[in-house]
Amino acid sequence: MLKDINKIRNYRELREAYSFLLPLIVFILAFILLPVAGAIFTSLFKDISFLEKKFIFFENYKYLFKDPGFWQAFRFTMLFLIVSVPLEMIFGLLFAVILNQSIPFRGCLRACVLIPWAIPAAISARTWELIYNYHYGLANFLFMKLGLTNAPINWLGSNLGAFSSLVISDVWKTTPFVAIILLAGLQAIPVELHAQARVDRANFLQRFYKITLPLLKPVLIVALLFRTIDALRIFDLVYVLTMGGPGGVTTSFSMYGYRYFLAGDFGYGSSVSVVLFIIALGLSIFYVRIGKWGKEVI
Amino acid sequence: MKEEKVKFIIIIAGSIFMVIFCILPFIFMALVSFSSRPDFLSARTLFSFTLKNYYSVLTTPSLHFIDYLRNSLVISGISAGFCVLIAALAAYSITRLSLPHKTFILFFVLAVSMFPQISLVSYLFKFMAGVGWINTYRALVFPYIAWILPLSLWILVSYFAQIPRDLDRAGLIDGCSRWQILRKIIFPVAAPGIFSTALLAFIFAFNEFMFALMLTSDHHARTVPVGIALFQGLHGELPWGDIMAASTITTIPVVILTIMFQRHIIQGLTRGAVKG
Repeated sequence: MLKDINKIRNYRELREAYSFLLPLIVFILAFILLPVAGAIFTSLFKDISFLEKKFIFFENYKYLFKDPGFWQAFRFTMLFLIVSVPLEMIFGLLFAVILNQSIPFRGCLRACVLIPWAIPAAISARTWELIYNYHYGLANFLFMKLGLTNAPINWLGSNLGAFSSLVISDVWKTTPFVAIILLAGLQAIPVELHAQARVDRANFLQRFYKITLPLLKPVLIVALLFRTIDALRIFDLVYVLTMGGPGGVTTSFSMYGYRYFLAGDFGYGSSVSVVLFIIALGLSIFYVRIGKWGKEVI
Repeated sequence: MKEEKVKFIIIIAGSIFMVIFCILPFIFMALVSFSSRPDFLSARTLFSFTLKNYYSVLTTPSLHFIDYLRNSLVISGISAGFCVLIAALAAYSITRLSLPHKTFILFFVLAVSMFPQISLVSYLFKFMAGVGWINTYRALVFPYIAWILPLSLWILVSYFAQIPRDLDRAGLIDGCSRWQILRKIIFPVAAPGIFSTALLAFIFAFNEFMFALMLTSDHHARTVPVGIALFQGLHGELPWGDIMAASTITTIPVVILTIMFQRHIIQGLTRGAVKG
């Protein structure tokens, strides 16, 4: 009798649990999973606006791997990721260590650091576009005043300049995010550990390497994961600052796919986006594995 | 003693560098917006203060800046509100009810947030075109809710998990339904967490670019980031003064919000990311 009542109660609770979860599932299914499935499906078709849709199996992918434009986008995106993400981690760690000290105006400093993160990237990118202006931008003005260069740098018009511009702006925009996450990690480290190390006459650097860094590893991996994925799908900065130029050298994956969508070639554009999707998925699985997190979520 | 002194100097120098690094672009943005010419840095011209950029941005109807701002605020506000409600229901279910495969659900949702937007946008475009929603608020609100749900869910789960379960039990004994418990007990207790989540959801929706670029076509639904990114002059040349004035107007409320709720934002961000 009691068993039956428990059974009924459990059943009712399960039904409630699912009904509370339902709206979330519906939204994610309809506006994220279905679109991804749609992209995979479309990538198997020759699907260009105003032309007849035709099933061509893996032809798009075959073409893609022979397409120099695709490989250029691949190279740029990977290079961008390899250069910008480590810089963001280093600066982020530096900022986090500073923010973790008991210094005057700490709250004010934290707010300052948050601001680049909180402003829409497309908007701050517009300011950066003006900063990089050849004739009257702030970058050339400061570089000349500080004597770093004799002649103005062609920031957005040269290959190296355009790449550096994107990296600098991205580091500026996302270092705060890394800093805030690492700060939380730093605050979780018990103060006694550092005090004990001080008694043992370990200096600042020793304490950092032996205590802070190892204990910070899980948080570092989380920050690394989010930054890698974001760098991989970089779009708005490129769209505003370089439009993929000069000569296509800063065309990111997302930019490359977007161009095909804009031209109405949904089949080929989808195959580009599916490849990016697979890379992102692979990387996140990789990070989750090495991080070994998720054991104690709830 | 000596170590402390060196450390203090390094930290002060570091903080000064940090503040300049973060704030300098905004100072330049504001300077240009108040300058009668954008090229005052080149030697021959001088800075002269003016409000004409602000006047032109706010009063020229063909620039549609006010429309973009209104669209952004309404779309982000509605998205954030619904997103928090849906995420709160799910977070309650995950933290309180005997739902099987909880960890799997959480990580699946996390994986979903890693999807590149470019792989969603072609289907969304066709779908929205099919139902005739292109260039309406709906075209952005629905994808935004889905897009921000993972983050909101993770933050709320970490907040809800901290609320003692005895509160639920007390409610159940008093004969409350689960929905009543959520509304009358959990929501008030977790109010700071819900506020942080809503704030972050709003910021994420406000900053979104690619969906807004693909799914809107003019001032009826275009948001501020896209509006400013596509800002063109009436006569061909880029009106830097206008662009910077529009950017400054958009930036100021975000800055005020950030400074006021710095603690909430930081808490929300770290909850969402570090708890795993």
